[in-house]
Amino acid sequence: MTGHDVVFVLVGLLTAGGAVLTVTSKNLMHAALFFAVTLGGIAGVFLPLAADFLALVQIVVYVGAVAVLFMFGLMLTRAPIGREALDGQNRGLAMAVAGGLFVVLSTLVIGAFGDLPTAEVTGPRIDDLGIAIFADWVLPFEVLSMLLLAALIGAIVLARRETGESGEELTVTRIEMAQDRDPDALEREQAALTSGSGGDGEEHA
Amino acid sequence: MSPIGPLLLATFLFCAGVYGVIARRNAVLVLISVELMLNAVNINLVTFQNLLYPGDPAVTGQMFALFIIGVAAAEVGVGLAIVFNMFRNRASVDVDDADLMRW
Amino acid sequence: MDALLEYAWVVVALPLLSAVLITAVGKQLPGKGSEIGIAALGLSWLLAVGIAWETFVTSPMEPLERSIDWSPLGGGFVFELGMLVDGLTAVMLLLVTTVSFMVHVYSREYMHGEPRYTYFFAMLGLFTFSMLLLVVANNLLLAVIGWELVGLCSYLLIGFYWEGKSNQDAANKAFLTTKFGDVGLIVGVIVLSAGMFGLTDTPFNIIEINEAAVAGQLSTTTIVLGMLLIFLGCMSKSGQMPLHVWLPDAMAGPTPVSALIHAATMVTAGVFLLARLFPVVAQNQAVMATIAIFGVLTLFFGGLLALVQDDLKKILAYSTISQLGYMVAAIGVGGYAASIFHLFTHGFFKALLFLGAGSLIHAVHSNNISDMGGMAKAMPHTFWTFIVGSLALAGFPLTAGFFSKDEILIAGEIWAGAGFFTGNLVYWVGLAAAFVTTFYMARACFLIFAGENRSHHPPHESGKLMLAPLMVLAVLSVASGYLLSPFSPEQPNFETWLATPLLDAEATFPFTEGTAAASGVAGDGVLAAGTSLAAAAGDGPVKVLHGVPSWHPDLLAIVLVLFSLAVFLAYRFYGKGLPERDPTLSMGRFTDVLVAKYGFDDFGYRYIVVPVRDKLSAAASYSSNVLIDGVVAGVGRATKSAAMTTYRVVDQQVIDGGINGAAFSAAWWSEKLKRIQSGDVQKYAGVLVAGTILLVLAFAAAR
Repeated sequence: MTGHDVVFVLVGLLTAGGAVLTVTSKNLMHAALFFAVTLGGIAGVFLPLAADFLALVQIVVYVGAVAVLFMFGLMLTRAPIGREALDGQNRGLAMAVAGGLFVVLSTLVIGAFGDLPTAEVTGPRIDDLGIAIFADWVLPFEVLSMLLLAALIGAIVLARRETGESGEELTVTRIEMAQDRDPDALEREQAALTSGSGGDGEEHA
Repeated sequence: MSPIGPLLLATFLFCAGVYGVIARRNAVLVLISVELMLNAVNINLVTFQNLLYPGDPAVTGQMFALFIIGVAAAEVGVGLAIVFNMFRNRASVDVDDADLMRW
Repeated sequence: MDALLEYAWVVVALPLLSAVLITAVGKQLPGKGSEIGIAALGLSWLLAVGIAWETFVTSPMEPLERSIDWSPLGGGFVFELGMLVDGLTAVMLLLVTTVSFMVHVYSREYMHGEPRYTYFFAMLGLFTFSMLLLVVANNLLLAVIGWELVGLCSYLLIGFYWEGKSNQDAANKAFLTTKFGDVGLIVGVIVLSAGMFGLTDTPFNIIEINEAAVAGQLSTTTIVLGMLLIFLGCMSKSGQMPLHVWLPDAMAGPTPVSALIHAATMVTAGVFLLARLFPVVAQNQAVMATIAIFGVLTLFFGGLLALVQDDLKKILAYSTISQLGYMVAAIGVGGYAASIFHLFTHGFFKALLFLGAGSLIHAVHSNNISDMGGMAKAMPHTFWTFIVGSLALAGFPLTAGFFSKDEILIAGEIWAGAGFFTGNLVYWVGLAAAFVTTFYMARACFLIFAGENRSHHPPHESGKLMLAPLMVLAVLSVASGYLLSPFSPEQPNFETWLATPLLDAEATFPFTEGTAAASGVAGDGVLAAGTSLAAAAGDGPVKVLHGVPSWHPDLLAIVLVLFSLAVFLAYRFYGKGLPERDPTLSMGRFTDVLVAKYGFDDFGYRYIVVPVRDKLSAAASYSSNVLIDGVVAGVGRATKSAAMTTYRVVDQQVIDGGINGAAFSAAWWSEKLKRIQSGDVQKYAGVLVAGTILLVLAFAAAR
């Protein structure tokens, strides 16, 4: 039991606990905060594994950016803050599947790597990493930058509000716009549902 | 240190992510669960790199972890944009409500 | 000249080129694309004639095979893209390009004014390409590709008038029914080639499969299972009972399409495939017996159904089913050359009949023969060409249909002589069906051409572009019969044309060795097909090729008597046209069934009962007339009721019932199973992961 092991076990327990609370917490904001804890824990796990640079990236990108993004996401979608039933009807299925998967995967992992001897952890130095990125991995790296740019533009296109040709903001959704174009569509649909009982379609037309 | 500890932790995080993806109702929480699964894979990659193949000059394991972080960032951006769009069109981000493809 | 064979692929490529060009630029051209199709098919036809001539005069010849490796997939398997040119290919090339060329020319006028004129010609080109691809393919996979493509084109062209719901339904019915058999075909091809994998790199190569079968390298299981599954595909494509149901409905397509696809070419694809694999078929007695029995059932019951139809195209459709039954039955009784010969002549005269029917329909704007009548005066050229086609179909002596049909009957007789019961079956049922064929064609001809005009349109003769193909096909309907007749020389003739190194003059059926000695050929040498064969068929193994046919006076006599009797009967019933108070004309629905029923009662009363009771009772020869007319009426009544029973019970209830049952059970199950499509993505994800776990466990258990 070296110092590395002790640190790993402690941080690992913290991470696992954070993950469990992330997926089970009844409060949305709490879930997001536990998610941040889990991410930080994973960064902590990287340290005894001698992946210093990755731990740093994990904190900057995940804890700093992604976790905050998720909280914005929760708040912008007017998520109900507070305790309420957040799980769908699939809880039993999820329990069974996740539990079964854990049993199967851990059996496989222990069977495959359980009897490997303990080894001294040695990670690459950060300048080795830099050389690797810009020598062996430069093409994938550039492609990744293109992907990020595309995702940026795609996210903007997807998330912005519809504007008309004059640049005015529209306050209606696409479904409402479709109904504006064909005002009787909704009434026809309702009439079809109630099989011809409704006659209130005329006031809109 | 033995590789079995980090690998088991990664397995556990992955299964927690699977549970969240299947059980959670809020679309943002589903996305969070997906991120959990991605991070679990990262732990695996780093473990294999630094404990099993420490001498690899191309540092493939850590490189893959880095790329996954980058791609995951992009995925979060687009995923959240889709969730916003869904929220605007339906005033709800419950995945239960998005069932246009049912019979 | 020999180089011409190397260019057989051009025959195939030209129609595809025409289809592409028509699609691209057809609408801008003055002829709306039809000129491209006609020009391409004309060139194709010229080349096919050259190839046919070349293979014919040098026959029997070695097949020419050219192929490139499409994809070396490894694992001892190479997918070839190649062509195989031998006599059989040349025959089919000639038939397909000729009929297609005629149909192209004919359609230029027939389809005039159609909104989807260009599309129609593009589809015709695509169909011709697909059919030719199937014909020249040197391996079974390529043949299956062509087979599926012709099915697709058939579907598109049956549904050509897709505005009508019934036409869509007909197209779907045809597609689904043939697709059912196609599954059998594909599995059969795989089964057959599975036996080849250890022997060669190209397990789908047709020549190699045939050689392996003859050399006894394929196991009996492979041959029986493979060929029966392939025969399932042939049954659906070639309209064999009980999978014939799509063919009458396929008449919803334009008439030139019916002539090209559903009479002359596509429906014969099954027969062609059986002939292509004949060395494999010939290895096993059970396979041949199965094929023969299905063929016999089809040729007889298919023909009976034609008796009660009013729609001219449906009469021809049921007649096609019956004739396809002859071809398949011929394969089943060892009549390899007879079958292809009948395929060849039938292609010409049935295309002629359909195009003639199109000309009539064009003139009176109705498919029903009860709406025609008296057309002989108004449409003289259509009249005589149609009569030539009918005579050929009915097997009137010295027409092509006579020689080819009798060739099949003789093949049945030789087979019977070798001690196989199916041979007798083909011979006697074939004769009976020839009587039925003559009767329904005579009925149609009398109703169409004799008596008074019953249509609401003054009939007019069609234009030159429609008449020219009719005349060409009429000439071919007579002339093509002389390729294999008592008049043909020893060599070359149609049979040597079809001969290959595997099917040469010495080839025999392996399972007939030793069994043939039991019973000699009935009668004496006169009945045997070839002079040289008379002895061989008696006590040796049965030969695949029968040699140049000789005259068979007894068969000729039977055929003539049956022909005269049938025409006489038809004249008694229909010679004066339909009665004016025929109520079925105004009913519209199920007219075909009712016309037959009312027709019988009414005609029977008017032409048999009334004359007997009123006019002839006073005559001194009262009793003899009662006798004769009684026989006439009895035969007529029995035939009619047999036909009606077949139509009602076999076709409408058993077959349609089975198919509807399949459809309803599919609907019931889909109602239950659709619940799985809950739209709940998370449930899908859960099931996905659960499946992964199961797979992992399965693999772990397997280790």
